[in-house]
Amino acid sequence: MTQVSTPPRTAESAAGVVTEFFDRYRAHDVEGMTDLCAMNAAFSYPPVELWGKQRVLRGDGKVRTIGKPLWTGLIASFPNLSNTVHTLVSNDEGDVVAEVDVEGTQQLAWGLVAPAGQHYREPHLFIFHVGPDLLIDSITAYWNDAGISQQLGHTEVD
Amino acid sequence: MTSSSVGTSTQAQIVQSFLDALARHDVEAAMAAVDPQVTVTVHPLGIRGTGAGVLHEVVTDLVRAFPDLMISVSRVIATGDVVTALFKAEGTQAGSYAGAINQEKHLDIDQAWRFTVTGGLITEVSAYWCQAQLYRRLAVKRYDEIAIA
Repeated sequence: MTQVSTPPRTAESAAGVVTEFFDRYRAHDVEGMTDLCAMNAAFSYPPVELWGKQRVLRGDGKVRTIGKPLWTGLIASFPNLSNTVHTLVSNDEGDVVAEVDVEGTQQLAWGLVAPAGQHYREPHLFIFHVGPDLLIDSITAYWNDAGISQQLGHTEVD
Repeated sequence: MTSSSVGTSTQAQIVQSFLDALARHDVEAAMAAVDPQVTVTVHPLGIRGTGAGVLHEVVTDLVRAFPDLMISVSRVIATGDVVTALFKAEGTQAGSYAGAINQEKHLDIDQAWRFTVTGGLITEVSAYWCQAQLYRRLAVKRYDEIAIA
């Protein structure tokens, strides 16, 4: 019987998974990004917060139900979306922290920001956890959404 | 990418001591964990500087503007010399902050601070939070008119 063995999780192998994640993100391979995540991987983008009259939509949930549509929408609105990984540190427990600039030029509406062809580049801090099976089981990211809005020419605090 | 667990634990403890002191509003005790030549980046405030004075001003402004500031640390992640802390800052505004006039609004903001610890002191800090959330909480309506309620 053929057996497929997964290499042991180390700081290096966990970092390798996350490096591949950003490579696929840069290639707009959302399916590939998702494939690197566990089926029930947690997702949290605290800056994503859309206030309606009766409820607030937040960027919290699962990679497959919240993360994937967000990444897909972001790439649709910013067709040249890219990222630059500045630092990436990890430990043997599977924690990976990455300082990443995300940038793109707006072609479609993004949230309440109307497209004006403006470009943004904003520093992000991503915190991943990679499980023993070398699948990402948690993604959290922080950035300043005000910086993005202002770069895109949107001056209202929504 | 990793160092010994003893070293990593110590580095996490140094960051924890900084955060504990900040939670007690004891700025001087917090700064005791910081190298005099610390590199400071506070992305949402557009601050990039060197020296303990820069960080001292950042935390002093926070404690002064939110006298009931509460820091709730959810995770401290040690990855060698780098320690990343995730926490929520809560408080009621009692003074101007980041250009926003005091309207006595309540603030609750999730933040991530990335520290580098070298030689027993914090030598680098990069702080991340969403200034849009902060201004929303403080009832600021426009980025180009922050001080106008």
